[in-house]
Amino acid sequence: MTLKILAACGQGLGSCQIITMKLNAVFKKMGIDARVTSSNVSMAKSTATSYDVLFCGQTLVPNFKTAESKGVVVIGLKNLVSEKEMEEKIQEAIASGKIKTN
Amino acid sequence: MFLTAWNWFVANIFTKPAWFLALMVFIGCLLIKKPIYEAFASFVKALVGYMIFNVASNGMVATFRPILFALNGRFNLQAAVIDPYFGAAPLQKSITEVAGRTMSIATMAMILGFAINVLLVYFKKQTKVRSLMVGGHVMNLGSWGVIAYLVLMIPSISDLGAIISGGLLCGLLWGVLSNLTVEPTQELTDGANIAVGHVQMTGIYIFDKLATWIGNMDKKKGKEIHKIGDIKLPGFLSIMNDTTVAASIVMLLFFGGMMLIIGREYMLTVDESLASQSWGFYLIEKCLTFVVYLNIIILGIKMFVGELTEAFSGISQKILRGAVPAVDIAATFGFTEGSVVTFGFLFGALGSIIAILLSVLFKNPILAIVGFIPMFFDNGGIATFTNNKGGLKAVIISTLIVGMVHVFGGGLYAYFYGFSNYGGAAANFDIAAWHTLLGVLMKNLGFVGIGVICLALILIPQLQYLKNKDTYFLVVDDYEKYKEVIAKKTNARPAAKKAEK
Repeated sequence: MTLKILAACGQGLGSCQIITMKLNAVFKKMGIDARVTSSNVSMAKSTATSYDVLFCGQTLVPNFKTAESKGVVVIGLKNLVSEKEMEEKIQEAIASGKIKTN
Repeated sequence: MFLTAWNWFVANIFTKPAWFLALMVFIGCLLIKKPIYEAFASFVKALVGYMIFNVASNGMVATFRPILFALNGRFNLQAAVIDPYFGAAPLQKSITEVAGRTMSIATMAMILGFAINVLLVYFKKQTKVRSLMVGGHVMNLGSWGVIAYLVLMIPSISDLGAIISGGLLCGLLWGVLSNLTVEPTQELTDGANIAVGHVQMTGIYIFDKLATWIGNMDKKKGKEIHKIGDIKLPGFLSIMNDTTVAASIVMLLFFGGMMLIIGREYMLTVDESLASQSWGFYLIEKCLTFVVYLNIIILGIKMFVGELTEAFSGISQKILRGAVPAVDIAATFGFTEGSVVTFGFLFGALGSIIAILLSVLFKNPILAIVGFIPMFFDNGGIATFTNNKGGLKAVIISTLIVGMVHVFGGGLYAYFYGFSNYGGAAANFDIAAWHTLLGVLMKNLGFVGIGVICLALILIPQLQYLKNKDTYFLVVDDYEKYKEVIAKKTNARPAAKKAEK
């Protein structure tokens, strides 16, 4: 089952490109079937619930409290270009059962 | 026959920037071995994205026209919104309408510039350039800017001449200036191996040095740097996080205010459609129309830039290992607390407001209204770096200055290049601070001016290297070791001083 991923950032332009590319690379490396879309914060707030996991810079996490309460896994990133950090946090989420990869 | 084919290409593809850009994207995708159907999809997105931008650009300029006309006629005042997306259309119009060229020159210059940046980093042992710009949106707008300066200041320059000198300038600007941010960014992120490739690079370099100096002064006096922690800010400020809301507020306040001052009677002379509408609704809807086009511009740019970035990153990943990617400044916001960025934004806004009031007071012929994006991202970014080195004091001083430079520098820039005739200038900090100088050199010294600029850019990393031979490459090759070396140096200094005595 393809994981639906949303990458959110301030303008939907600069940081989004970076996060999307890195996430695609990480999911490919981990052998997880995932589709990554990107958007800006305001659009993401309304569309988040149609995704399984939402990634964003950690300063933006407070924007998605509602989404989180509705079951969306929200992962905040300190370093937007660190594939290592992304991999670690994804592993964490899988281990704790938040993300299901079957 | 080759000539006929070439002429056909120039007449039908090169002179249609949307098609040319899409073709470049298509070729780029093939180069990184994407399947042909994916390359086709990217081609379509680039083409349509650019066409969307075109629609919005025309709309934006058309909406501004009557107001700018009225402002000029009534008060002899020119206005410009200092913002990359409000400034995109003016750049395009300056190149196509004022200088009568095709935007494809800029697309070619951008590709050449990227290639030169790659070359600079490939030969970093000689060039001393360690970072590669990867932000497609920055390179796109950056190349539009450089080409605009060239064709406006040196009107006799040929298309080929503009492409080559434009590409050279872009490559050098992107490589050398992003390289300046390597040390500050490593120090901020504790070795994340990223640099900033955006429009505040010289700002980061200067203010990081200033903040370090402020921090050292405080340390000498025995004071602790007072870093901004998680301060609770009033809730209503959160709405500024949304571009549409923020832009609407700015436009209503400034342009709505300006139209009120211009007065209904005068506005009637420039826009007859007002006669059949209520003044109040006309004002509000006019202001919001800008935001409509702003959203469409961002949509279009995001679409075609997205495809560009993918192609560029693919290519650079294949060619370069060990290059430090230079990214959008927003990527650094995660390395500090959220309120630092907002603090920077607030004081930057204050600096801009003070500058605008001073402008009006001293009857400056140009009114520079700073848009949300430079206010938030430039000030937020500078605050992130300066808080780290010099705490609250450094943040306040730096962002106040940035806010003022946005207005005074940005206004001068818009006026000098004539972008104010279209109501906007993409003058983020670096551009507002010294891009007017580039034009002055080009205008007065022509190609020699271009040579001078290139020479200066080439020298900068060489000088940096000479100052720090032992740590220059270490800082990106092995950051932990770099910290040790720096610590030893700092501890050796007081010991050396004691030895001198």
